[in-house]
Amino acid sequence: MKKFLAMLLSLVMVLSLAACGGGSGEETTPPADSGTSQPNDGQDSGAPAAKTVKVGLICIGDENDQGYTYNFIRGKEAATEALDAKGISVEWVVKWNIGEDSGCEDANIELADDGCDLIINNSFGFEPFMLKVAPDYPEIEFIACTNQASWGDSLDNTHNAFANIYEGRYLAGIVAGMKLQQMIDDGEITADQAVIGYVGAFSFAEVISGFTSYFLGARSVCPSVTMKVQFVGSWSDATEEANAASALADMGCVMISQHSDNTTPATTAQSKGVFHTGYNNDMISVAPEASLIGTRINWAPYFEYAIEAVANGESFDQDWCHGMDMNAVVMTDLNEAIAAPGTAEKLEEVEAKLRSGELQVFDTSTFTVNNGETLTNAFALDTDGDFTADSEEAVFDGAFHESYFQSAPYFAISIDGIEWLNSAF
Amino acid sequence: MNHEKRTPLIRLAKRDGMEGWKVWCIRFGSIVFALLLGALVMGLVGANPLTAYGTILSGALGKKSALRQTVKIAVPLLGCALAIAPCFKMRFWNIGAEGQITAGAVAASYFALFWANRLPSPVLLVVMGAAGAIAGGIWALIPAFFKAKWNTNETLFTLMMNYIIIGVVRWLQGGPWEGRKGSQIIPQFDSAACLPRVLGVHCGWIIVLVLVVFMHIYMNHTKHGYEIAVIGDSVNTARYAGMNVGRVMMRTMFLSGAISGIVGFIVASGANNTLYDGVAGGVGFTSITVAWLSQLNAFAMVAISMLLAVLSKGAETLQTRMAVPTSISDIITGILLFCMLGCEFFINYKLIFRKNTHKEAAKS
Repeated sequence: MKKFLAMLLSLVMVLSLAACGGGSGEETTPPADSGTSQPNDGQDSGAPAAKTVKVGLICIGDENDQGYTYNFIRGKEAATEALDAKGISVEWVVKWNIGEDSGCEDANIELADDGCDLIINNSFGFEPFMLKVAPDYPEIEFIACTNQASWGDSLDNTHNAFANIYEGRYLAGIVAGMKLQQMIDDGEITADQAVIGYVGAFSFAEVISGFTSYFLGARSVCPSVTMKVQFVGSWSDATEEANAASALADMGCVMISQHSDNTTPATTAQSKGVFHTGYNNDMISVAPEASLIGTRINWAPYFEYAIEAVANGESFDQDWCHGMDMNAVVMTDLNEAIAAPGTAEKLEEVEAKLRSGELQVFDTSTFTVNNGETLTNAFALDTDGDFTADSEEAVFDGAFHESYFQSAPYFAISIDGIEWLNSAF
Repeated sequence: MNHEKRTPLIRLAKRDGMEGWKVWCIRFGSIVFALLLGALVMGLVGANPLTAYGTILSGALGKKSALRQTVKIAVPLLGCALAIAPCFKMRFWNIGAEGQITAGAVAASYFALFWANRLPSPVLLVVMGAAGAIAGGIWALIPAFFKAKWNTNETLFTLMMNYIIIGVVRWLQGGPWEGRKGSQIIPQFDSAACLPRVLGVHCGWIIVLVLVVFMHIYMNHTKHGYEIAVIGDSVNTARYAGMNVGRVMMRTMFLSGAISGIVGFIVASGANNTLYDGVAGGVGFTSITVAWLSQLNAFAMVAISMLLAVLSKGAETLQTRMAVPTSISDIITGILLFCMLGCEFFINYKLIFRKNTHKEAAKS
């Protein structure tokens, strides 16, 4: 028995020694070196010495979510490539699975102490904790994606960014509306059976803005469409999202869309024999018979813009929001096999109108509130911190101007034609 | 042959007590063994174990800002371990510290959110602390009352109480206390409701150090502490000696919950400056390990909670600098705790291996 124990111990020691050896072997190629050497291979070898920027990225999840955080990682990778071509090499330090609590404050301090020039916080709830750290590091730029304090805080080194995702939602709505209209024309459903079911996370301005633009897109091509919205009370809860989608389909919804992180609404739609449009990610692979199209924010243009500014020592916008104009909102592939004929052409046409500004998504002549009234005024900004917008009239020139006064969406109005099944969240 | 079959290969026997130096040798050996096993795990993911351990240490203690964060992690662990120590001494298995922390944080947050402009800051903080203590105490008193009255199972009861209060916080987050509509986030407290910083860390660390001394005296030099010890050894003896076991249970649980409640107040007011459903963040469970590892000794808890905080903060740095996933450091922490707790087994029991058959035969 003693012999056996001795053998076991020595085995452990030998293995750990071997592991040491293996580890130190890899140590000889620090990632920083390979980063700086790349730009020299680029075409502009005559350019001034390559610049390296160290960027910290704090994520609420990890790339395995195939949704929210994965979308940031895609943006990170595309931006790194684009900047590399400009002779700027980016060294990333990524913190995964950080909570929206003082752990986020610690992560910001940790990245700041680690020498990052720019720190990006990817979740809405990170901002208050980022703001506790930002004043102590005035030489470092801090970004809180999707939140909204930067226009009002007195700090020069804090930034917010969002994308006009409502443009993508509007286009996805058009795809859905054309499919519904095709079903009506083919006699599969009657005009008043054209009901969309929407799985929303919370009754939060970002979600409301999203499903309203989606609905308006659908109604622009299918006038009889109506919509039911079910809130699930979580940004990411695969089971609840599936339950909500299933309940909506049972209530007669023939088209499902979502503002939540998982692909379960798509798979549920397929099993219920209804159609679906997605968010954050291409969901055709998981639901080829249901998923028509998806839309997502493309973070690469913003990352590229911000990191390049930091590399050149320039300042950059404290509140950045662009859409299709800068490719910050993109559509995933259209599922041609099941989409209504002519959808691709229609998409191209509307996208061009959105880009040129000819078409306004929240055109006040296209919707009514409170059973038939036209929307004439709505405030955009909350200046006194009581969480009710009290400043800056958003309705002018015949449209509600979303993401105009600040990057984070502020359209939080319930319009006619959309039924909220629950607003507890 | 029959005889041999009946004798198991390994038998256990209680040890009567071991020399102090041997005990410490075993404990030290278990740590070394855990570090070796941990090195193996790190090696498997391609990190040099020596560098990795160095990174953990320097990341947790190497810089002023790092040390502050480490202390910030240790504070609730220590406070909560102090809270559950008297319960465990009494063999009352309170695994509801998580909920008691949360209850305390809710009560403290109420005053932080709605009384911040009505009271001067020091008064407000004292009120918040007192409210946290009372709320945590009541949350712990409920299972103790049922245990004393109807002998309900306290393990299940305290565990269930956790889920209830965490549900309450979720409701508050999305309902009455929500900040921006739909955000599910309670606004940050007014600065008057935030614990001031001393040496760069919120002053909760001073509060828990005071609690360490208090708890040491309470457990070892008071009548209450004696009663707790007697009940822990034998409830019948305590009854025979004329102690009101139910009353002592309720009193001890109220005290335990009150300290957890104060921890909740410290975390909400000092660290997060807001309330959310993860305010306890597993501290209520991790602190059980802290309490056991320190054998319910209040001063040892300071060291053990710091050790866990160093591992936890160091793990973050390890991920930042060496891209080792934080889950790897969770594994290493787990191995360390397992070995440290496991070695107590070898201190209390000895293994007796079956002797060679012919010897046994010769004997019989």
